[in-house]
Amino acid sequence: MLNDIFIAPFVDMFTAPDFLMQVLWEGLVSGILYALIALGFVLIFRSSRIFNFAQGIMVVFAALTLVGLFAMGIPAWISVGLTLVVMFVLAVAIERVVLRPLVGQPDIILFMATIGITLFLIGFGETIFGGENKVMITEELGIPTGDTVLEPFGGLLILQHLDITVVVVATLLVLGLLAFLNYTQMGRAIRALGDDHQAALSVGISLQTIWVLVWFIAGIIALVTGIAWGARAGVSFALEVIAYKALPVLMLGGLESITGAIVGGLMIGILEKLFEIYWGQPLLGGNTETWFAFVLALIVLLFRPQGLFGERIIERV
Amino acid sequence: MKHFTKLAIAAALGTVMGTATVAQELYTPNLAYRTGPFAATGIPLMNGQADYMTLLNERDGGIGGAKIDFEECETGYSTEKGVECYEKTKGKAIVTQPWSTGITLQVLPKTNVDQIPILAPGYGFSPMADGKVFQWAFNVPSGYWDAADMIVQYLEQDGSLEGKKIAFLHLDHPYGKEPLPLLEKLAGEKGFELLPIPVGLKEMQNQSAQWLQIRRERPDNVVMWGWGAMNAGAITEAVKTKYPMENFIGVWWAGHDADLKLVGDDGKGYKSISWSFPNQDAPVMKELKERVFDAGLSQSNAEEMQGVFYGRGVVMSMILSEAIQGAQKNFGTTEIDASQLRWGLENLNITEERLEELGMAGMVPPFSTSCANHTGHSGGWMLEWDGSKFVKASDLLKPNTDSYADLIASAASEYATANAPWAMNEECSATN
Repeated sequence: MLNDIFIAPFVDMFTAPDFLMQVLWEGLVSGILYALIALGFVLIFRSSRIFNFAQGIMVVFAALTLVGLFAMGIPAWISVGLTLVVMFVLAVAIERVVLRPLVGQPDIILFMATIGITLFLIGFGETIFGGENKVMITEELGIPTGDTVLEPFGGLLILQHLDITVVVVATLLVLGLLAFLNYTQMGRAIRALGDDHQAALSVGISLQTIWVLVWFIAGIIALVTGIAWGARAGVSFALEVIAYKALPVLMLGGLESITGAIVGGLMIGILEKLFEIYWGQPLLGGNTETWFAFVLALIVLLFRPQGLFGERIIERV
Repeated sequence: MKHFTKLAIAAALGTVMGTATVAQELYTPNLAYRTGPFAATGIPLMNGQADYMTLLNERDGGIGGAKIDFEECETGYSTEKGVECYEKTKGKAIVTQPWSTGITLQVLPKTNVDQIPILAPGYGFSPMADGKVFQWAFNVPSGYWDAADMIVQYLEQDGSLEGKKIAFLHLDHPYGKEPLPLLEKLAGEKGFELLPIPVGLKEMQNQSAQWLQIRRERPDNVVMWGWGAMNAGAITEAVKTKYPMENFIGVWWAGHDADLKLVGDDGKGYKSISWSFPNQDAPVMKELKERVFDAGLSQSNAEEMQGVFYGRGVVMSMILSEAIQGAQKNFGTTEIDASQLRWGLENLNITEERLEELGMAGMVPPFSTSCANHTGHSGGWMLEWDGSKFVKASDLLKPNTDSYADLIASAASEYATANAPWAMNEECSATN
C-alpha cells in the first residue's frame, strides 16, 4: 500500500514522461478555464461584496446568445459583437432592476437576488433558445481545430489547437484585465471600491457605474468561457455546472484576490488531474475530481481561513 | 329569481358536463425534464411521447373514445423533484412515467403501496423484469441488463473476449452503475477484464482525466453508459484522443443524433445498441408530420423528428396506448383504472402484424409481456453513426436472458427482502 502511494506513482511519471506531460497540459487547460470563471466571481465580489451565484448561467446565456444570433443568419464575428451588446444590456438591467433597489441591504439579500437572476436567466434562456444541445460556431469564428502531435522522449503528446487557442486567449484576457485594473482610472476605481466602499464613494466614485462595468466584464468572461467549453462539448444548460468548479478555486485563492483566482485555478486544474491519474484511478476507483479540489481548499482554509491570497480580516471590538 | 334559476341550471349543466369530461379522460402524467443539465437529451424524447398522444387525440379522439391527458410535470432530472411530481400526480394517475433511474428507485416502493404501475421503457431497475416481485413496475421492451448482454454478444462476433480489456465509462449515478452486476458476471464467464471508469456529474463536459486513463490502459473496447452532456463530452474526448470509434459502443441513451453532430464525420463508426429505430418511411411518421407538426401542435422541429430519440419517444407512447387499449377491451370499459392498466401492461403483445397496423413497422422489435416477464426482452439493433445519422449495423440481436435469469431473480428477491413487507403477485408463477 505504501508503495502504491509513495513510490509507484512517481515511477509511472518517470517511466512515461510523455504521458506526464499530457496530464500536465490537460491540467493547465482546465486550470486556465477554472481561473477564468473564478475571475468573474472575484471581480463582482470585490466591487460589491456580492457572491454572484449567476456566473454559471451567464456562461450558458452568453454562449446560447452567440449561437442563437448566428443561427439567425448573422455573421459570426458580428454575432460576437451583438452578444457583447446583449451582455452589456443585461449588466445595466441587473444594476437598475435588481441591485440598485437593494443597496444597503445585508449581503445575504444580495446573494439571494443573484439566485433570482439565475432562475430568471434559466427560464428566459430556455424560452428563447430551447434546451437542446447546440454546436458552437468554432470554425466560423476562425478557432483552429485539429491537433499537433509531438513525440517527446519517444512517446506521444497530443496538443489540440482548440486547447492552445483557449490557453492563449484566456491568458491574454487575464493579462488585459490585470492591466485594466491596475493602469486605468476605471480599473483603479473598481479596486478602490473593493478596498474601502465608504472611502471610494466619498471621493466621487459612482457605485452604479462600477457595478454595471463589473457585471459587463463578468459577461465578457462568461462569453469567452462559454465559447471555450461549448467548443469542447456543445452548448447546453449543462454548461452551468462548470461554474461550480470555480467554488474551490475561490476558497483556495480567496474571494477578493485576482491573483488568487488565477493561481488557485491553475493549482486546482493541475493538481486534481495529477491526483486523479496517479493516485485516484489506481487506488480509489477514479472520479476523485468531484471532491479533490474541495478537500485541497479545506486543508488550505484550516491554516489560512482567508484563502491563499485573500485579505486577512481584522475587526476591532 | 330568474337569475337564480339560470345560475342553478348553469351550475347543474356544468356539473354534468364536468363529470362527463372527467369520465372521458385518461390521466397519464409524464415526469418530464425539459430543463436542467439533461434537457438536451430529454426534449426530443418528451416531444416524441407527447406528439404520439396528440396524434391519437386528434385522429382517433383519444383511446377507445377517451381523451388522453398527457400532462408533464417538470423534474429537471432531479430525484427530489421527481418524487414531488409523483406525489402531486398520483391521486388520479393511472400510470407514472418517472424518467430517471434515480426517480424510479425512489418511487418504486411507493407505487407498490399506492398500486400505480410504473412505466419505464428501457430504463429503471433491471430486476423489475421479475413481474412476480415487481408487480407494478414495467421496463419494456428491454432493460439495461439486456443491453449489456447484447453489447457483449456483438463484441463476441469478432472473436472470443478471453484476455481482452473492456473499459466501462459510466455516469457516476444509479443509472450508470445499473449494468455493473451483469457486466461483472459476464467478465468472469467470458474471461475479459472489466475496467469501470466513473464520470461525475460536474465532469461530464471535461472528461480529459477519464480519457487519459483510457489512453494509458489501452482497452480493446469502450462501453459507455452515458446520459445528457456526458455523451457529447465523451465522444469529443474520444475524437481528441484518437480512440478508434469503431471500438466505442454506447447504450441506447448514448445514441443521440445531436451529440454525434458535434463531431460529424469524426464520429463515424461509433455505435449504440438500440431497441428503437427512427424509420422515416413508417406511415406513423408521415401522420405525425401532417396531423401534429404541420398543425402547429408539436414542440418539435423537422430535424429533431428524424432523430433516434424522437422516434423512441413515439414508440414509448405507443406501448402505453397499446396497454390502455388492451385493458379497455379486456375490462369492457373506457375509463380504466391503475390496476386495469397494470393488466394491460402485463398482457402486451406487440407483433409484427400489430406494428404494421400501427404504421410502426421497423421502429421497435416485436415483444410481449406476461405476469412473470415485465420487460419483454425485445432485443435491439446495433446502430452506427455514418457521419450524419444513425444507420442499422446489425440484424436484430436478442439477449440471452436465460443466462442471467438467476441474477434477476436473486436481485429481485434481495430487493423484496430489504424492503419487507413487500407485496408480491403470488398468483404468478415463473413460467406464466
